Amino acid sequence: MNYIEVHDLSFVYEEHPVLQHVSMAVQDGEFVVLAGENGAAKSTLLRTILGEAKPAHGTARMAVRNCHGHPLKVGYLPQQIAAFNAGFPSTVYELVASGRFQRGRWFRPLREHDRQHIQKALTAVGMWEWRKHRIGELSGGQKQRVCLARIFAADPDLFILDEPTTGMDIETRAQFYQLLRHEVHAHGKSILMVSHDNDNVMDFADRQVRLVRMEGTQWRCFSMASCNAH
Amino acid sequence: MAMFFYGFMQRALITAVLMAVLAPLLGLFLILRRQSLMADTLSHVSLAGVALGLFVNLNPTVTTLVVVILATILIEYITRAYQTYAEVAIAIIMAAGLAVALTLMSLDRGTSAMSVDQYLFGSIVAISNQQVLLLVILTVIVVGAYVLFHRPMYVLTFSPATARAEGLPVQFMSLVFNALTGVTIAVIMPIAGALLVSAVMILPAAIAMRVARRFNTVVLAGIGIGMVGTVGGLVCSYDFNTPPGAAITLLLVAIFLLCLGGRGIWRRLRGRRLMFPDKNCDS
Repeated sequence: MNYIEVHDLSFVYEEHPVLQHVSMAVQDGEFVVLAGENGAAKSTLLRTILGEAKPAHGTARMAVRNCHGHPLKVGYLPQQIAAFNAGFPSTVYELVASGRFQRGRWFRPLREHDRQHIQKALTAVGMWEWRKHRIGELSGGQKQRVCLARIFAADPDLFILDEPTTGMDIETRAQFYQLLRHEVHAHGKSILMVSHDNDNVMDFADRQVRLVRMEGTQWRCFSMASCNAH
Repeated sequence: MAMFFYGFMQRALITAVLMAVLAPLLGLFLILRRQSLMADTLSHVSLAGVALGLFVNLNPTVTTLVVVILATILIEYITRAYQTYAEVAIAIIMAAGLAVALTLMSLDRGTSAMSVDQYLFGSIVAISNQQVLLLVILTVIVVGAYVLFHRPMYVLTFSPATARAEGLPVQFMSLVFNALTGVTIAVIMPIAGALLVSAVMILPAAIAMRVARRFNTVVLAGIGIGMVGTVGGLVCSYDFNTPPGAAITLLLVAIFLLCLGGRGIWRRLRGRRLMFPDKNCDS
């Protein structure tokens, strides 16, 4: 089952085409990396998939339900999310806990299994000891990890991550990719991730979709299989 | 306190307490959404609403509410057009609101100028029973809205893109929040005055952000600080015979400076203790 379907999509920004004839899909239980050079409109493609931006032509759709028939839960990490919220008056625990209140769960109190999800998520990204600290006390890389923990705590069916490894060192990145791979293969999650770290991430991802600029300023897209698929 | 034997001071005290509860619930989100000047903008727009009401001989409160709600819709629309520089909307509407107010005032001289002055500077001690009742109803609505929707607002304020992906109606929530803020400003303005209403809205939350750790604690601290500011300012204005709005604002600013300075001193003392744990701090 396809969680994301993009068909012959074109996007125009201030009368200039930045995406043309892009087609791709992300199935359930798949880890797909979206790659391309700087300015390849990768974030624009993600935003179009999420419905934030309207394409000039073609369609970008997300499934309404997951493969079990329940409403699809999406976890989205925008690019540089940590940079915009340096002074947010909240503790790490509060921010991650907010990931548990999605789709109809806004009004109920935190339960024991919510707390377990939150602890597991914070531990997985190595931020459990920082749970009582304010967001503003963290470094950029730590904030990024907390934002990722929030998504893990939310336990979505589909992860949409825009350059999630910003601010991470090499070792942390490898641990993070391993974690994502575990989510896909052990829990059947789907991931669409924008990354510049192609050399390392392709050891863990199933497939890569690359946006490439053709001669004459037109942008096109074609799929590539992972060289090291497991 | 003998001053509270007077009916007008009792109403003023109730008003001060209600404003202290109301202001940080909205003020905190205004600060986090980088809309701290929204309160100023809407107070300028409210002046236009008052001037319009006096010009066409209608109840100024009604015309103010209508004008403010229209302005919040316009702000939301302009903000979407200038996404990267969203504060442009606030600057434009603030200038337009004041320009409309001044134009209408100049077209309708005489008593209207004096009435607009009352809205410019406000008077918590001149509040009527009807205004107190309106404030009570508004406070119940805002507190109820916070209790019900503080979690979605938390996510929206942290990251609108994330909130949208999680299924929240981001634009609708933003519009409703702006409209609620506008109505609150329109109701508070005759009390605190157009020139000082933003201080009442923003300062308690700004101070609370420096002293509290958790989000909900920031809100509670803001209410507490607001109480000290509004009630303390009211008492000071009675004792020293100064304008209440100014006294409240000055007390809140004093608390803010105390917090700023106190936090710096605390950090220095903590830093010395960490560096020299075995030594007396005075040595």
